[in-house]
Amino acid sequence: MKHSTRPSLKMSRRQFLVSSAAVAGALSLRISSTNAAEASASGDLSPWLMIKPDDTVIVTVPSPEIGNGVSTQHAMNIAEELECAWEFIQVEFADFTREYQQPGSYAVGNQPFFGGHSTDHERMPFAMQLGASARERLKLAAAQHWGVDVAEVSARNSVLSHKPSGRSLRFGEVAAAAASVELAAEPALKPRSEWRLLGKAQPHKLYLPKVVNGTAEYGIDIQLPGMVYAALLQSPVHGGQLKSHQPEAVLGMPGVRAVVVLDPSATPGSPVTAQPTFGFDGSEIRSGVAVIADHYWQARKALAALPVEWDNGLGAFWSSYEKLQQRQQQLLERGQGARLTNRGNVDGVTGTATVAATYHTPFCEHAAMEPLNGTALYTDQGLELWHPAQDIQQAFWVAVDESGLQPEQVKYNQTLVGGGFGRRTTSDDARAVVAIARQYPGVPVKVIWSREETSRQGAYRTAIATGYSAQLGEDGMPLALQGEACYSGMQVNIGYTDMVYAATDTIPNVQLAVSSLPTHIVTGAYRAPCYNSHAFTIESFIDECAAAGNIDPLEYRLKLLANWDPAWSDCLRVAAEKANWGQPLPRGQGRGIAISNWPHPGTQQAGSTVCAVAHVEVSQAGALKVHRLDFTFDCGRIANKDAVLAQLQGGILFGLNMALNDGLSLVDGAIAESNFDRLPMLKMADIPEINIYFEALSDHDRFAIIGEAPVGPIGPAIANAIYQATGKRIRSTPFRKADLSWS
Amino acid sequence: MTMINFKVNGQPHSLEIDPETPLLWALRDHLSMTGTKFGCGVGQCGACTVLFNGSALRSCSLPVAAVEGADIITIEGLSDAGDHILQKLWVEMNVPQCGYCQAGVLMAAADLLKRIPNPTDDEIDAYISNICRCGTYPRIRAAIRRAAQEINA
Repeated sequence: MKHSTRPSLKMSRRQFLVSSAAVAGALSLRISSTNAAEASASGDLSPWLMIKPDDTVIVTVPSPEIGNGVSTQHAMNIAEELECAWEFIQVEFADFTREYQQPGSYAVGNQPFFGGHSTDHERMPFAMQLGASARERLKLAAAQHWGVDVAEVSARNSVLSHKPSGRSLRFGEVAAAAASVELAAEPALKPRSEWRLLGKAQPHKLYLPKVVNGTAEYGIDIQLPGMVYAALLQSPVHGGQLKSHQPEAVLGMPGVRAVVVLDPSATPGSPVTAQPTFGFDGSEIRSGVAVIADHYWQARKALAALPVEWDNGLGAFWSSYEKLQQRQQQLLERGQGARLTNRGNVDGVTGTATVAATYHTPFCEHAAMEPLNGTALYTDQGLELWHPAQDIQQAFWVAVDESGLQPEQVKYNQTLVGGGFGRRTTSDDARAVVAIARQYPGVPVKVIWSREETSRQGAYRTAIATGYSAQLGEDGMPLALQGEACYSGMQVNIGYTDMVYAATDTIPNVQLAVSSLPTHIVTGAYRAPCYNSHAFTIESFIDECAAAGNIDPLEYRLKLLANWDPAWSDCLRVAAEKANWGQPLPRGQGRGIAISNWPHPGTQQAGSTVCAVAHVEVSQAGALKVHRLDFTFDCGRIANKDAVLAQLQGGILFGLNMALNDGLSLVDGAIAESNFDRLPMLKMADIPEINIYFEALSDHDRFAIIGEAPVGPIGPAIANAIYQATGKRIRSTPFRKADLSWS
Repeated sequence: MTMINFKVNGQPHSLEIDPETPLLWALRDHLSMTGTKFGCGVGQCGACTVLFNGSALRSCSLPVAAVEGADIITIEGLSDAGDHILQKLWVEMNVPQCGYCQAGVLMAAADLLKRIPNPTDDEIDAYISNICRCGTYPRIRAAIRRAAQEINA
């Protein structure tokens, strides 16, 4: 995962180039950075915004819509300056082929096509400048039409008005004329004090009317003439190979058209230098077999009847998750990890008390509700793909790589996405779809993973073992903090090597190391990758230090963060106060607190800081009930309060499920849990009272991303509450597997 | 292959189909009605919920043979113009996130309100056993409560 430094919202408007064209009576506008403009001076205009004669405003969104409302927010940013009526807005996803032909057309910022980032500082000034430019062009066209001074023309609600004469025109009536006007200079943006939408309006997500009547089109819903269906089965042990199969056993079954093999060595490769956002690692074909049939159920039935043998390869060595945990523990005991964070000298410190603990966070499956899928048509002319990707640029280049075709011959169509959470970023799914369609050319093939196959062929959260030790001074506060995180899978150090307790100067000696225990299990991004483990381990350990120092966990954190960005302390204080922190509870009940930040925990006034207080009850038999979660946050400013609230609710519940339920086990190298009967997910009846407070918002000049941070503090707040309730420290997730009984 | 006759949203259909095909795939694949979603295939998640002769049912686990002569209502037929009180509130209260599971939730919620016009939280919990990974449960509960208020007003 790449993360950019945060550019200022006050970007100079001279950095943008807006160009216009009339397209079928519509005003079509594109915007680009001036440094990207030269490369794309020729060719058709790749529109960012189109205003049609009937007043419809088409907003092009260069990000997938995964449910976080990114497309709606992008439209809101444009509408703030455009002064169009909200009900005229429609959104369309950008065509990546245009970006390929005209580099820089849609690629703005460091993560141009990534789902979570188009409402932040990278995209916002572009969108607002675009809206302002369109508005001024419409005003000038109206002024020229009336023969009046443009200063006397105003725009509001998709109507242009000339007050002195009482005349008005709709946007659509001058759209075509506005395409040919020349602005003397790009307009300045409104001051924030004049914003009418951002920070004020709370529109619902634009696509919801289609969601509730069943017409919203996800990848799995694509319908094409002559389409056939494929069901697939890949090596249950990642990295294993298909040893043998007997197509003849099923080719005579009703509707069955073909049996094709997924062969990792058959990938043709891109004929040009590819530019996938995250590279091709993790997107490789997983050895397997697919049955193609007239209908999906026929393909499923035939696949179930197909005799298949696997060579499990080296992965079978990992007979259980416990074996993996033991090996990770052994590595931690060796203490040979790379020491990435060093402050002072931890070796020279002997305190009055030593605290030490090791935590385990397992592989987790995203379990997005839309199973993996995609539809592809491979012909002599090229490849067309319809797919719910989390990163359009990645999916496009994977399709080029797996088809072996020239990029010009590949057409990618983005659909709505039925949940992402990081799973749909590498496009291993798109690659399998193309590999199957390539072997059955001429008709569209829709490939659908079963839920079981989706779960077994995951790109899971990294399994991590983290050991900490601390030396406490006479005042109970840490003099030295030492840690090592042993990663089995993708390594992301955010929230660990840059943790806030290493960034403040309140702990004089800090050393944080990393080590790696590679396995065959495929891992990848999982809602705030690895941070979601690090927040659990460090916030649990700090709590253990507080207990050893005989200091209240809230007070302990406030002391540690005393010299830090005050928003952190505000988050702690407000959450604690709202949760009645300190008020006595009956035996078997407890409160716990935790705080974290994504993605800039070690930088003041950056990222989103989030804090949770959990109130739990544990029966003597060990049944856990989370009664209540009180939650505070600081992301600087917010553009749509209800959208932020929805992301916080979603992130909190994702974090709750991650802590209570999600965690995979291994049997002879294969993931054991394949469907929801064995991998329980939170349901309505499991939801605690959730209170989200806006009082800790700092109003600092940033609109930080908000969907990922909340998953961090939920688990440790609950574990710390369990300790208060029972005296037991729970040092691994998911808690459903822990013995919480007490007497 | 067997001929199966049933109604979907009031329209009669005759399908020449493998009778073991789950109703879900008969709807999606044979009738091109993709509003009803595939989530798990084992009756756990509820994304495929439809009304079978007026009762909420998980269509992924019911062979199409069992719907001979039945009336099926899917999300496409929950209302004529997408204006069922729950559909209106789902939009107004910004309930869905990715939205994939919501067709099933809406069908379950519509059935709940028909049977229990003013459900308690426990009744909502018992009835809405659908899985949503985006975490829309608090809004689902709020929208059902508000619908109940408006129905009973």
